[in-house]
Amino acid sequence: MKKTLNINIGNSIILIEEDAYEMLTAYLNEIKFHFSKNADHFEIVTDIENRIAEMFREILAQQQKQVIGIDDVQLIIAQMGSVKDFESADEAEESGYEDTISGVKKLYRDTDEAYVAGVCSGLSHYANVDAKWFRLLFLVSLFFAGSGLVAYLIMWILIPRAATRSQRMYMKGQPVNLHGFIRNFEEELAGNQLINRSRGFFVELAEAAGRLVRTLGKTFFKIIAALIIIFGTCFFLGLLVGLAVFFGFWDANPSDYYPLNIVNDDYLSSMVVAFFVALAVPIIALVLFAIRVAFNTRAINRTVSFALLVIWLGGIMVSIFYITKTFSEFKEEAAFTQVKELKRYDAYTLTLDRSRFFSKEDSVKYQINTDKYRGKVILNDMDDPFNLPRNVRLNIEKSEDGRVTLTQNNSSHGKNFEVALIHAQNIRYDFSQQDSLLNFSPFLQLNRNTNWRDQEVELTLKVPVGVKLFLKDDMDRLNFSFDYWSCDGEEARKIWVMTEEGLKCGVPN
Amino acid sequence: MIAENTQTQMRKGILEYCVLLIISKGEIYASDIIAELKKARLLVVEGTLYPLLTRLKNNGLLSYNWVESTSGPPRKYYLLTIEGKEILTKLDITWMELSYAIETSKQTKS
Repeated sequence: MKKTLNINIGNSIILIEEDAYEMLTAYLNEIKFHFSKNADHFEIVTDIENRIAEMFREILAQQQKQVIGIDDVQLIIAQMGSVKDFESADEAEESGYEDTISGVKKLYRDTDEAYVAGVCSGLSHYANVDAKWFRLLFLVSLFFAGSGLVAYLIMWILIPRAATRSQRMYMKGQPVNLHGFIRNFEEELAGNQLINRSRGFFVELAEAAGRLVRTLGKTFFKIIAALIIIFGTCFFLGLLVGLAVFFGFWDANPSDYYPLNIVNDDYLSSMVVAFFVALAVPIIALVLFAIRVAFNTRAINRTVSFALLVIWLGGIMVSIFYITKTFSEFKEEAAFTQVKELKRYDAYTLTLDRSRFFSKEDSVKYQINTDKYRGKVILNDMDDPFNLPRNVRLNIEKSEDGRVTLTQNNSSHGKNFEVALIHAQNIRYDFSQQDSLLNFSPFLQLNRNTNWRDQEVELTLKVPVGVKLFLKDDMDRLNFSFDYWSCDGEEARKIWVMTEEGLKCGVPN
Repeated sequence: MIAENTQTQMRKGILEYCVLLIISKGEIYASDIIAELKKARLLVVEGTLYPLLTRLKNNGLLSYNWVESTSGPPRKYYLLTIEGKEILTKLDITWMELSYAIETSKQTKS
């Protein structure tokens, strides 16, 4: 069953099927457009229309039928010739002729590809932008007081639905000529699309609601996927930047800095690469999966995913290998002790000295010109994230023999005792006495090219009974072995005195 | 492309000449002109003819009469004007010349 139309062509009334009518209209439009530059276009087109009408009448009479179908129109077009044929005939004369009316686009709602009412897909055809961006725009605008919803409803009502084939072709900007027509028709057959017949607003509304619920779930997953894509990509880029920084975009030697100096220089690079692979591959996989969910693209090539898996496993294995290897370098512990005798005073002031002492090697490295820095003190930054853990402990004990001594115990780990001892020897700790002022450094330093092996410095200050100790404000940055924090009161914690029973705090006078 | 262009030019001129020749035989309806041209294996589609006829008519070479047909509205029957006949005579001469030119060219060439 097909709808038929009554048309008046060449002063004849012809009954024609709807699809045949659309094709004929497109054909005549094409002809009109083609001859529109010709001064006699009206006459030519009238002649052609008259002839078409005549041929219709002949067909109807010959085949004894009532209605012109699409086959008949095709037959006539074949006989009359398409615009292409005309073109080659008058090429020499009018070479300026431009191909059909392909540029013409009209705004319709595309209910065939609709999520709700086809506004977004219609806009997408019009603007030649993928519909998902419009959908995203509307979705985002919902959060701005629902302005998008109002806009959507207005457009729903104002923009007509692409109901006929030529409207759909105008919507998609396909040339509404014979070629476009046939192509569109074939596409439709291939896609087995159903033509939505005209429906009322409320029927559409109900259907739209159903579609909305169905697609909302899908949309939710897509939003999650989009977030994964965004954050995954950022994280991946971050990793890349980190890797780039490690491999030489940074002008310092990164392996000098904690925590990278935990790892032996020999395999630090391999280990960083292994870590990078172990982290980056799952992120890539996650992002690819999210892209697949969000854009309904095909799964990535099986070989590629298998290769990724192998690379990832390789990265993991290498990482584990180096981690265990690094841990094994902490196996043995070694320590040695130096005792320094201090000048005897009745009271000492203990202070934290952040001024930095440079070895000769350091002075060369940092290009310290002695003239330039004369009389100036370079301070260590206490809160630098690349500082070593503050493994300096201070203990204060009672001296039995009346002498004042400072015992410095350097300890370190290593894969064997010998290496551990070397590491312990590579500790530099700055302590100095200026009369009754004792300067402690807040942290230990490692000689260059020494790995971090949990080096510790334990200081034991032995003072006889009766000696008073004044602790300056920032001394609490050190770790104390004695019970510093159990002493109540900030002021009290600044004054300590050695008694027969041990160290006491906050004793007045 | 050049070959195509030349072919088109040749066909164009000869098509006009042939149409005038066909019409010169007597009053004739457009679709009968097509039939004649098809017999002469010259024209492919009907649509090309209408602009040509219109142009010739506007240049005063042709005129037409409305003739009642047995089925449907009246048809346009074309015939040559006096001017058209004069031009056709000129074209005949030109064709002879061209034909001679081509024959001669072919002979001397080969």
